[in-house]
Amino acid sequence: MSVLAVSNLTKRYHRGGKPFAAVDEVSFDVGPAETLALAGPSGSGKSTIARLVLRLIEPDAGRIDFEGANFFALSGAALRARRARLQMVFQDPLAAFNPRATVARVLGDPLRIHGIAPRAERPRRIAALLERVGLDTGLAARAIHEISGGQRQRVAIARAIATRPSLIVLDEAVSALDVSVRGQILELLLDLQRQERIAYLFISHDLGVIRAVAHRVVILDAGRIAESGDARAVIADPQSAVGKALVAATPKLVRTSQDAS
Amino acid sequence: MNRLRRFLRTPEAIAGVLILALLLVMALAAPLFFPGDPQAIAGPALLPPFQDWRLPLGTDRLGRDVLAELFHGARTSLAVGLAAAAAALLIGAVVGTLAGFAGGLVDEVLMRVTDAFQTVPGFLLALAFVSIVGPSLSVVVAAIALSAWTGPARVARAEVLSIRERDYVTGARVIGMHPLEIAFREVLPNALPPVLALSSVIVAAAILTEAALSFLGLGDPNRVTWGGMIAEGRTVLRTAPFLSIIPGIALVLTVLGVYLAGEGVVESTAVRRSLS
Repeated sequence: MSVLAVSNLTKRYHRGGKPFAAVDEVSFDVGPAETLALAGPSGSGKSTIARLVLRLIEPDAGRIDFEGANFFALSGAALRARRARLQMVFQDPLAAFNPRATVARVLGDPLRIHGIAPRAERPRRIAALLERVGLDTGLAARAIHEISGGQRQRVAIARAIATRPSLIVLDEAVSALDVSVRGQILELLLDLQRQERIAYLFISHDLGVIRAVAHRVVILDAGRIAESGDARAVIADPQSAVGKALVAATPKLVRTSQDAS
Repeated sequence: MNRLRRFLRTPEAIAGVLILALLLVMALAAPLFFPGDPQAIAGPALLPPFQDWRLPLGTDRLGRDVLAELFHGARTSLAVGLAAAAAALLIGAVVGTLAGFAGGLVDEVLMRVTDAFQTVPGFLLALAFVSIVGPSLSVVVAAIALSAWTGPARVARAEVLSIRERDYVTGARVIGMHPLEIAFREVLPNALPPVLALSSVIVAAAILTEAALSFLGLGDPNRVTWGGMIAEGRTVLRTAPFLSIIPGIALVLTVLGVYLAGEGVVESTAVRRSLS
């Protein structure tokens, strides 16, 4: 059974008085421990889908089933409790944290909110999370703005896995990182997926990265699905016009795919 | 330390801090220098200043020591100014945060209430409040806060509107944080700096409002206030103008000091912001 099943999802906005569909009748599903990539040019609706899946915005039509239950039926405290199972990692690891926070506070919040660890046990759990993502446990006392971008993104991943989710939405999660750090973060994500069986909804415009980490890919164009299928097959031989354009616009593809294999 | 040095770089800030420090010393030392009731009769009535070394600033119509009254009045002015500003900032920050963060109907209702308070002249509002509830120090503080919270509320709302779209607020929603906790723990502390920049203006206005209320006889009758002293001196303005002039100078200096120090704080944080 799939972790996430999206069917006929539609979100319309008004631009200059005329309605237009940012996401138009999109359907896909993500299985356990699977990585589904959403690719597409800017404005194709990737991030809108991410926000709909996380229920940060409400759809105009469609249905999302998360872990077999209608996700849109939840509200208030029930929805907040459910959010433990569905996490997100942002593109900009600096903007994703309260500028006043420390690493310990960032990781302690989800443990406290979802009652995962009592106060006395939290420092130990925070240290374990930091170790899990390959960070020094001494980092807990540091402020978010004192650590490097790569470390911040590791903290973001640690926060996402703190509540043992079954699905993590990665919205351009490696796009803002430099190439060497990007490889390590992708490595960490794959490792976590193998060990904790977490599914990823991986949003990116970088087909090289998608080819390296995703099992399947959905290519979006203007809010609609242009094509979908096995990630390597689609990227090797795109059928849709937008797919061809994306592949053609990825100059690093050859080198990156060699690195990944 | 560094921040303090930057703060003290401008002469205005130094002057402001010196005046405020003097005021603070006066307020704190009042019971030491002038133990006992400052409203007790200390000598002959209407003694001009610099005539008697035991009463350097002379006495008022009832023979009370003007210098003692000035010191004790500093306590009232400072206490009322700080308490009223703190209350106004607190109410304003909470109302502005709720309005900006909740949006929709809550925003509309709270901001229309803010509009209503803002349209009524602040002093009239304070005047009406004190005359209904009755003059006492806490009522005066409440009355001043009631007319001063709208500015902070508007500034806080504007700041919150921009902060609530940031990723870390979304992040807090994703980890399932309660909306009220997001508003007051994640958003409000980051919206505070521009709100706090208003504090010097509010403190200065609060001190003036308190003096004006006392002048009209609506201050706390059990406390010496500068406004009350001016009002008291008004009846003998032709024969003993010093009774109005001395507390008047104290009032002007205090408001100037608060304003200059406030400017210094804003200036130094502005530099820090542009550097970062």
